[in-house]
Amino acid sequence: MLITPDVEKPVTPAPPHPRRRRRLGGGETVTGWTLVSPAVILIGIFGLLPVLMSLQLSFQHSDLLTPETPWVGFDNYRKMADDPVFLEAIKHTIVYTALFVPGTMLVGLLVAAALNRSVRFISLYRTAAYITMAVSTISQGIIFLWLTDRDYGLVNAALNAIGAPSQPFLASPSQAMYVIVAMTIWGWTGFSVIVYLAALQGVPAELHEAAAIDGAKPFTRFRTITVPLLGPANLFLLVWLTINALQLFDEVYATTRGGPLRATTVIVYYLWDQAFVHFDAGYAAAMAYALFVVILVITGVQFRLTRRFGGTS
Amino acid sequence: MTRWRLPFSPWHLVLIPLSFLLLVPLLWMLITSLQTEGEANRFPPVLWPASPRWENYTEAWAAAPFGHFFLNSFTVTAVVLVSNLVVCSVAGYAFARIRFLGRGALFVTLMATLMVPFQVTMIPVFLIVKWFGDNVWDVLGIDHIGALMLPNLATAFGIFFLRQFFQTVPVELEEAARVDGTSRLGVLFKIVLPLSLPAMSTLAALTVLTSWNDFLWPLIVITSQEQMTIPLGLSYFQGAHHVQWPLLMAANVMSLLPMLLVFIGAQRYFVQSVASTGLKG
Amino acid sequence: MIRRRLCIALLAVLALVLAACGGGGSSSGPTEIAVWHGYQDTEGEVFKKLIAQYNQDHPDVKVNELYSSNDLVLQKVLTAVRGGSAPDVAYMFGSWSPNIAQIPQVVDMAEYVSEPDWQWDDFYPAEREAATVGEKIVGVPALVDNLAIVYNKQLFAEAGVAPPSPDWTWADFRAAAAKLTDPAKGQYGWLIPADGSEDTVWHYLPMLWEAGGDILSPDNSTAVFNSEAGVEALTVLQQMAVTDKSLYLDTTNENGPKLMNSGKVAMLVTGPWDLSQLPDIDYDVQVMPTFAGSPGGHQTIAGPDNWVMFDNGDAKKQAAVDFVKWLSAPEQVKTFSLGTGDLPIRQSVGNDQAVLDTLNENVPGTATFVENLNNVEKVRPTVEQYPDISDALGQAIVAVMLGKEQPADALNKAAQAADAALAEK
Repeated sequence: MLITPDVEKPVTPAPPHPRRRRRLGGGETVTGWTLVSPAVILIGIFGLLPVLMSLQLSFQHSDLLTPETPWVGFDNYRKMADDPVFLEAIKHTIVYTALFVPGTMLVGLLVAAALNRSVRFISLYRTAAYITMAVSTISQGIIFLWLTDRDYGLVNAALNAIGAPSQPFLASPSQAMYVIVAMTIWGWTGFSVIVYLAALQGVPAELHEAAAIDGAKPFTRFRTITVPLLGPANLFLLVWLTINALQLFDEVYATTRGGPLRATTVIVYYLWDQAFVHFDAGYAAAMAYALFVVILVITGVQFRLTRRFGGTS
Repeated sequence: MTRWRLPFSPWHLVLIPLSFLLLVPLLWMLITSLQTEGEANRFPPVLWPASPRWENYTEAWAAAPFGHFFLNSFTVTAVVLVSNLVVCSVAGYAFARIRFLGRGALFVTLMATLMVPFQVTMIPVFLIVKWFGDNVWDVLGIDHIGALMLPNLATAFGIFFLRQFFQTVPVELEEAARVDGTSRLGVLFKIVLPLSLPAMSTLAALTVLTSWNDFLWPLIVITSQEQMTIPLGLSYFQGAHHVQWPLLMAANVMSLLPMLLVFIGAQRYFVQSVASTGLKG
Repeated sequence: MIRRRLCIALLAVLALVLAACGGGGSSSGPTEIAVWHGYQDTEGEVFKKLIAQYNQDHPDVKVNELYSSNDLVLQKVLTAVRGGSAPDVAYMFGSWSPNIAQIPQVVDMAEYVSEPDWQWDDFYPAEREAATVGEKIVGVPALVDNLAIVYNKQLFAEAGVAPPSPDWTWADFRAAAAKLTDPAKGQYGWLIPADGSEDTVWHYLPMLWEAGGDILSPDNSTAVFNSEAGVEALTVLQQMAVTDKSLYLDTTNENGPKLMNSGKVAMLVTGPWDLSQLPDIDYDVQVMPTFAGSPGGHQTIAGPDNWVMFDNGDAKKQAAVDFVKWLSAPEQVKTFSLGTGDLPIRQSVGNDQAVLDTLNENVPGTATFVENLNNVEKVRPTVEQYPDISDALGQAIVAVMLGKEQPADALNKAAQAADAALAEK
């Protein structure tokens, strides 16, 4: 069973108080459920119910055209195991996630650290970070397609200037995925920055001051004081970025459409293609469920690991 | 050794190029929005329009009832924002601090809703929303902006996000209040929330962003022009064979402005004032 | 305190919601029908005027139009049909016909169009074929186009190469493209959309037909595009992309007209929709080349799209059918074509010299495209597995153009995949 970690600071035991002990005993369950009930109702109806209905769809043959959706049991799941494109898609998705998540967290942390100070115009710089998230993936896609164009792009112009040959980038089956990694790190840095900024605000300045008085250098202070206190933010980003990376779709749709030669076909792109271009929605649902199980397991592992190795000291 | 003093903080030397890098997409949007169709029809792109065509903005605005789209987008986003802040903070606090039976399993179940892509769940959600429109209140149904709000009134994302941040609030403060007899809700509103303004305003900014830019759901739910939101309006400029880039980018820039203003306005809540952490003394 | 403020905010917003959702009830007045289309810009204006005119002339019907980008309308329609709120008329790509035919709510137009006042045979053969799936007629033609060579006269003059002529073979095309390629200037002889989608495939298909080949066997049961003709056609692409490097592979599918307009590409094989995107160059239009010794001639491919009607009850169905009948009548076809520059969908209008002259005046080269419609002999098979066949072919073509595979191997592999798909359903 998945136990959610409690990253609470160590509590100095308070003197026993009869009223408090009783409250912490059994009454909390009712309070807890009362507080979460609005969320549970809303998410239950509009989040869980569709997820369950999709599970049902994965056991059917549905083309979204005819109303008949015959039950086919595990056929859709068996089809996945034999589908070479799906297996390729798994590989691509994993490679992408393994590069994107740490990349975005690292870049985001560094940029947030740079933005976490009170120089003049700092709010303008922070706004710049926010605005990157507001730009649509379509615009992002266009820009990267242009920047990395083999003949007319700026990146190759720069490479040529230093004597390096032009690279096909998004037009190359071997390079395209890495360009997408770079593009999405760029696109998600803003999010990472915003989250880290909020977390960095919670690091009391006095701790830094005290350490500075004791003679600790800025980078050491950063490493020993700030980073550990970012535990919850780190977990959040790790989990959320992984969930999103495993479900990559928009940026692939906006640039390579899964190509060239399926080099950037990731799972969600493939299942969308199967549902809306090949009219096989049942199969798409089965793939989504396989992915769901994987995401669930990975998220669980992430929570466990952070609980064991992370947390505050 | 005398320290060389710059008239401004040296950090600007890092922040300016950094911001420039981050802003490249926006700059490209601005430049394209001022081009003529002919200039936009070149590859490699023209880096600076011959003479900035400001009429693109008025033309884009007039091409479709954008005023109405703005009103719809604003209404939907406002409702979704308030709902998320309220519902997710209450639930997030419960998950963060209250030990209750089934908490772990419930949290996992809610998180599960984030793990199935919308491309798969959109048809079931459509059917559910349609049911609401037919059986509860037609403002909530297909082709009404209520349908745009309904599935987004609370998300597991918001709950997860706030749970993480609420856990960083010193629990001693909460316990002190509870010792004095404050209820859980009271602790939430009087202690935790005031200390979580950066987190709340971050969630607000992210929620506004997601809601404002949502395209796929409005696409399949809205079928009459009066109920359209801005992203649907932007698709007016994206034809099958030809995209009207200058007008599209002009409309895009105009739609970014409200979000920009919201963010700038919310800036002061991002910074936690030291005095309110209560750790002094 | 905060809670109170939040409550007030919530109430205020709810009030706004109620105000904004005017919520018009259904009036027992004229029959209202919803038409979903992808017309914007000039086409949009002309279309809306036509609708306004129809509404005025027919007070018992109200046509409501909704813009929905063509690429996305399929998802929208499928969801709507599932949820019981389908439109009455929707503009749908012709390549979707065999799949749309399976939706029970789609109106089978066969009985309607056999009536003489529809003048069904006046539509170009390719359009009629693209709307026919087995015994069913899934829609009424809305648009027709075809592929021809659009070339930059100045680049040809500068390179001292004779411009494309009706006598050209693909060997001539290849030679010209090679001479027009200049790596130092970043200039290419030809450009092709190369993302592996149907866009790539339908650029290859006319070459396949010109070489004397076919996509599927006459009974649509097996793939035959891996014939000698198919290999010959694909080899031309290989030679130009890999050996000569005169063929620019556009993976974005959008940059063709832009590069053409910037003078970086000498020739495009494209349709009439791109002509208005070339204001900065002096261009001309020519039919596609032939393969020497092949009976295929100058065959080209048409990409007809349809108005598809959905059955939402007898009254709406009849109103929808009547509207589309009016819309596709010769007079409206002429108005639309002259107003937008789109090719006329009726032969009677396409053969009208006055129309051709006006079209050519407005957008030079359009007349050649209209005449080129007579070169359309075959259409893509209207089988429901076409998306799978297109997929297999698309990947094969891109693999060859990237130099990763040989034409014969690639086509054989694709034929296997296509056969498997055809056998399945």
